[in-house]
Amino acid sequence: MEEKTVQCPKCGKSITTFGNPGEVVKVDCPSCGNEGKVTFQKIIEQDDSAIEVYNLKKVYGDLIAVNDISFSVKKGEVLAFLGPNGAGKTTTVEMIESIRVPTAGVIKIYDKDISTSFDQVKENIGILPQEFFSYERLTVRETLLYFASLYKNSVNVDEIIDSMNLKDQEKKLYMNLSGGLKQRVGVAISLVNNPDIVFLDEPSTGLDPKARREVWEVIAGLRDKGKTVFLTTHYMEEAEFLADRIIIIHKGKIIAEGSLDELISKYGDESILRVKNCKSTNLINVLKEKGFDAFTEGNGDIAIKIKYKEQILEILSILKYECVDYSTIDIRRSNLEEIFLKLTGAKLREAG
Amino acid sequence: MNFKFIKTDLVLGIRSWLRSKGTVFWTILFPILLIMIFGAIFSGSDEVKYDLVLQDLDESSDSHNLTRLLSESGFFNLKNISKSKDISTYMKDNDLSVGLQIPEDFGKKLAESIGNPFAKVNLTYYIDPTDSTIPNIVRGIISGLVNGYNDMITLSPSIVSMEERTILGEDFDYIDFFVPGMIGFTIMTSMVYGSIERNTKLRKDGILRKMLTMPVTRYEWIFSKMLFMLFLSFISTFVILIVGILVWGLNFQINIFLFIIVICTSFMFSGLGMIIGRFVKDQETADMAGGAITFPMMFLAGTFFPLDQMPEFLQATAQVLPLYYVNEGFRNAMIYGNLEKTLFFTGATVVFALVFFLIGVFLTKWKED
Repeated sequence: MEEKTVQCPKCGKSITTFGNPGEVVKVDCPSCGNEGKVTFQKIIEQDDSAIEVYNLKKVYGDLIAVNDISFSVKKGEVLAFLGPNGAGKTTTVEMIESIRVPTAGVIKIYDKDISTSFDQVKENIGILPQEFFSYERLTVRETLLYFASLYKNSVNVDEIIDSMNLKDQEKKLYMNLSGGLKQRVGVAISLVNNPDIVFLDEPSTGLDPKARREVWEVIAGLRDKGKTVFLTTHYMEEAEFLADRIIIIHKGKIIAEGSLDELISKYGDESILRVKNCKSTNLINVLKEKGFDAFTEGNGDIAIKIKYKEQILEILSILKYECVDYSTIDIRRSNLEEIFLKLTGAKLREAG
Repeated sequence: MNFKFIKTDLVLGIRSWLRSKGTVFWTILFPILLIMIFGAIFSGSDEVKYDLVLQDLDESSDSHNLTRLLSESGFFNLKNISKSKDISTYMKDNDLSVGLQIPEDFGKKLAESIGNPFAKVNLTYYIDPTDSTIPNIVRGIISGLVNGYNDMITLSPSIVSMEERTILGEDFDYIDFFVPGMIGFTIMTSMVYGSIERNTKLRKDGILRKMLTMPVTRYEWIFSKMLFMLFLSFISTFVILIVGILVWGLNFQINIFLFIIVICTSFMFSGLGMIIGRFVKDQETADMAGGAITFPMMFLAGTFFPLDQMPEFLQATAQVLPLYYVNEGFRNAMIYGNLEKTLFFTGATVVFALVFFLIGVFLTKWKED
């Protein structure tokens, strides 16, 4: 519990109130009766943060696109900002990129408030905007040269072409590239200044599965190079595959955050081990005697809830004696889609 | 100022432009086609009866015979004017395109010429060069009649001939009127649509958002784009003038005003494009809005036809259109050589350029709401 003293904007009287970090406390002025609110900012570890966001808000008329969110991104971390279309992902990232002006809140990149010092961080960040298309009639090489010319310190274009596997495409016009290659060039453009932080706004949206996988490999390469990556996506597979940490946003609010394992253990159901085509009638009884929560599903499969991974070995040893004729077993744990469904009551790709 | 970026932007902008066959067509080949087509159309047309101002300074029996011949030919409504009037002024004041002046010593010289094969008698043919049609047709008819007169009077085909003068003081053709308008029109369309593209397509493609996050200012970006647009304007102007000279024998003067008007026109219509792009964000709609503004302006501002051929209310409308000042500026600077009018129209073009461009720059936003 923290103590905070504020002045009444109407009569100027000092009012002391108490609240927890992140809490908004309603306050009534004892002198004039004016009503107000006091926000207690979330305490965020600042030491290794590349990006810090405090009480960020964006309002369009009656619509609250981003509603008082706070979070940080650590240096060298791949953060996936996951949410359905219209959740507020792009609005948030564009406020961090200084493309949109926040209604309220503070954004810091490397401890610099971007509302006053964004020019100082431009050389250190690389950005791939949502639905980005470069100049159609420039070749890949010319495109990279063009954007590199904007920076005081830019990487040798040949190095980027090699590292992004674009050697065979360097003389092709941008307009003649496939969707996946265009996105790869987009990522390459965001790297021409060798930035420490890379913002990728829905980099694989609209791509076929093969092209999407290619883009993921490029992003995984950034992670391996130690770049801080801020990735917005509405693909849970993308977040699962790439992210060190995931923030789930829905209707402008952060509803969950943590690593994939943390989110699953916190919000997911227990894992289920299924035994298919087991003819033994005694298996269920034996499992129950051993303390397992086991049951027969409608299709005849035997399902066993797993709380600890050590239980898997124990179940396999029971199967060895009680049911040797099963065809397959599989173990399934909750995924982000199910967590999102559980948290919001809507499917990730349908919400928004 | 980031000159590395400005240089790269200009070089790659030109390269990218050259790769776009459609854009090259509309910027260079389309104006050439228009010059060829309009030039061909207005080099030969037909009319039935024409107003011809006739001034007989001789008033001899020979001059009366010639006058009768012209009158009886059935081609002309003759407007006879007295010796004391200035034929050019009369034509201008009465909006007449063609005039014929019979010299004072017509009869005397004609008499002297009999038996002298080297003798010449010149009739003076006055034309309004801004009229693309009538002077050409009338010239042919009078030539035919004069040849007939020669045969009839002297049995020699070439004693009486015609010397042509324009009421503007020099020898101008329709193409001299048309080409400056074509330059103004071409720069206008290139600048408006180029500007619209920058402010709509590049916004839609995320390039403007990306620029906002990169170490380049809006002013450096606009400056580099304007250099490219000026390059386009001068290329278009150069090509149009070359075609005008080679194909139609265009007469024009190169002076500082020509350069000033090209530059100001580029800034003026880039500014107009920025203003359109600011309010109409979808590119197709913005293109339509651009067309809705530029096409009527093209016709109303005296690009293809002299304004005095239009109804009076349309002539008044032209006075508020920036392209009118551009067209007249080009014509006076390049063709008519009228310094007073050149200064006026150039000044007006500079003012329009400043107003449109500054408003355009002010309205151009990179930041999203």
